[in-house]
Amino acid sequence: MILTRIQAVFSESGHGSSTRSTQTLQVRRGSMAIYDHITEFMGQRVQDWEPGDPVADPEGTAYRLSVDWDEAEEGVEWTAKFAAFLDDPSSREVTGLVVGPWGQVATGEASSGPVVEAIAAARDRLPRLRSLFLGDITSEEAEISWIVQSDVSPTLAAYPELEHFGVRGGNSLAFGTVRHDRLRTLIIESGGLPREVVTAVLSAHLPELRHLELWLGDGEYGGDADVTDLQPLLSGEQFLRLEHLGLRDSEFSDEIAAALARSPLLDRLRVLDLSLGTLSDAGAQALLDCPAVRRLRKLDLHHHYCSEAMVARLEALPVEVNASDPQEPDEDDGDSYRYVAVSE
Amino acid sequence: MTATVTSPLVSDCIRALDVVVIGSPSGERVERFQGALARLGAPPARIVSYLDLLDGGPPPGLLRPGTLLRLESPDRDLELLRAFLALGVDLEDEEGEYARMTRKELEEAPLDPHRILCPRQWFLGYREALRRISRSFGEQARWMIPPGAVLEMSDKPLCHGLLRRYGIPVPRGLGVVRSYEELRERMRQTDTPRVFVKLAHGSSASGVVAYQTNGRSHRAVTTTEVARTPLGVSLYNTKRLRACREEREIATLIDELCRHRAHVEAWYPKAGFRCRTFDLRVLVIAGEARHVVVRTSRSPITNLHLADDRTVGRATLEELLPSWGQAAWEAARAGCERAMAVWPDALYAGFDLMVSSDRKGHALAEVNAFGDLLYGALHRGQDPYEAEVRAAVEREAAV
Repeated sequence: MILTRIQAVFSESGHGSSTRSTQTLQVRRGSMAIYDHITEFMGQRVQDWEPGDPVADPEGTAYRLSVDWDEAEEGVEWTAKFAAFLDDPSSREVTGLVVGPWGQVATGEASSGPVVEAIAAARDRLPRLRSLFLGDITSEEAEISWIVQSDVSPTLAAYPELEHFGVRGGNSLAFGTVRHDRLRTLIIESGGLPREVVTAVLSAHLPELRHLELWLGDGEYGGDADVTDLQPLLSGEQFLRLEHLGLRDSEFSDEIAAALARSPLLDRLRVLDLSLGTLSDAGAQALLDCPAVRRLRKLDLHHHYCSEAMVARLEALPVEVNASDPQEPDEDDGDSYRYVAVSE
Repeated sequence: MTATVTSPLVSDCIRALDVVVIGSPSGERVERFQGALARLGAPPARIVSYLDLLDGGPPPGLLRPGTLLRLESPDRDLELLRAFLALGVDLEDEEGEYARMTRKELEEAPLDPHRILCPRQWFLGYREALRRISRSFGEQARWMIPPGAVLEMSDKPLCHGLLRRYGIPVPRGLGVVRSYEELRERMRQTDTPRVFVKLAHGSSASGVVAYQTNGRSHRAVTTTEVARTPLGVSLYNTKRLRACREEREIATLIDELCRHRAHVEAWYPKAGFRCRTFDLRVLVIAGEARHVVVRTSRSPITNLHLADDRTVGRATLEELLPSWGQAAWEAARAGCERAMAVWPDALYAGFDLMVSSDRKGHALAEVNAFGDLLYGALHRGQDPYEAEVRAAVEREAAV
């Protein structure tokens, strides 16, 4: 009997001795790294801003402020660049802000703390801010699990009119107690999302939330939540306006699918995204057996471990289905391993 | 496609062309080059092996008035590999002591094409071979790329330093390191958590490690492996990309690379394209950037030869331009052409060009004297070899 276990490709946690033998393993074809900066965020075009550039389109454009390696070496600080941005009178009208690398983000020492603090302190200078993405950092700049985040709740507290918030990087990420009456979108991208963050988000007071996306990630990279931690969400009692749910990059996609199939939550969703994870025929079957799935507009399952036959059945649903990027489990010594797409 | 108009003078010169290729007579490159000559209406080139030129001057009658000399890559010719290693056995190394094989070990070593055998020794032998050839052919010899330029391009630390001195954008260099410990120290001193470690005399992705550490975690991505065999410790180029997170294993690999001379650069964060990294091979001929090939990868290392074609791929410049921008491409192209000018007597070279993560800047990763083997690449209707030959003739006609 093939034992199916979900395991990390890379078995050393880097925090001390490992419980598994450390191995050098082949870079999997299905593993995914983020190589592109975002070009669009919540309907706005993203554009880099450097001191001296005009802030010409505060309504349609989200401005990205970055400090890359070379600049950081010359002593440029993200907070100083941000201050220069705020000094431009047109920035008062800005509705979207993207934070790119905030300095030497690969060293493990550059936390997003000062960035969060600066953005929170600027609440009176950005009265029209509606969208914020914190951490548009590619793999070439820092591996996702090496990005050092911080407690980001001050930004939510400082901008009660904020509607869309995205953050990349689960390492040192914290949310504190979240209450936000207007937030419609919350996206957290990571290679491993700590249980505390999952719990904080799922117990948050976010009555207007329409779009929730969590990359649960790999246990070896801090992703220590399991399906029981999702209970507050799956009960259907939270986020009554939710339309788009992404529980992505999960080591327990099958269990999520099964739990969702039993959950009243599905009745109100338009889009369900279980991509980048370890969904196999077992989880897919649970979805197929659930009548509420047929009422979805879109079902995104790309990067999965389903059979061709199962993919055919999924694609036959009266729903827009993305079942691309099928993966083969790794067979090693009679054991079968499925991996998430984004871990390190 | 612009048709290339040939003046009668150039046509005559092509028909009268006499090319001698010094390389590996059985190689694919020579075959393709001959094909290009045939398409141009030029006589076939005369092929000479490096081996035939090592012991004295050119064979009588090899050089005729106006002969154009082309050095070709010794590539995977195992006999040439052995010959250059043999030549390098006793040569003095001005850079210090690097790993050597004795003549006996060389004779007994099974020549596995995937095994990386003493690249520094190989380079010393190849350099000696080119010096002898250059001396014996004399000042009047007409080279497509002079041997001196080939040698400079084949020495990564030297080439990197040259480009930097000429103001060509290159990644920050951390110099040559002799061990993993020294590498870590150099990284600490220069505040560089991410580096590319490359063999000083490796071809393309041979012996390249993308290494990063934040002091606690480590990660090395490479196709190079260290293996312990009855013959001792050996480096191998595999066709599989690996990621290693165990410090000791990474240290072993890097220590082994250092034994053969390793050059280190800061990891230059590259722009992405359709969820992949990419670089460009730009072939500059007669001072003008011509053929461009875009190489994509799902890893930090581009220009890989892998068994698995889902990890590496190709794209075209046209596909790339909308997100990169014409202005940024033209600046990068000009950068390659300026780099070519570092070797004014070289007719052509292949430049590995990286685009910065914000798409505004660029940097050169490598210069390749034999970087013109580009399958399917056409520019103004010509493949690289046709374009080089025409440029050589036009250069002569203009003199």
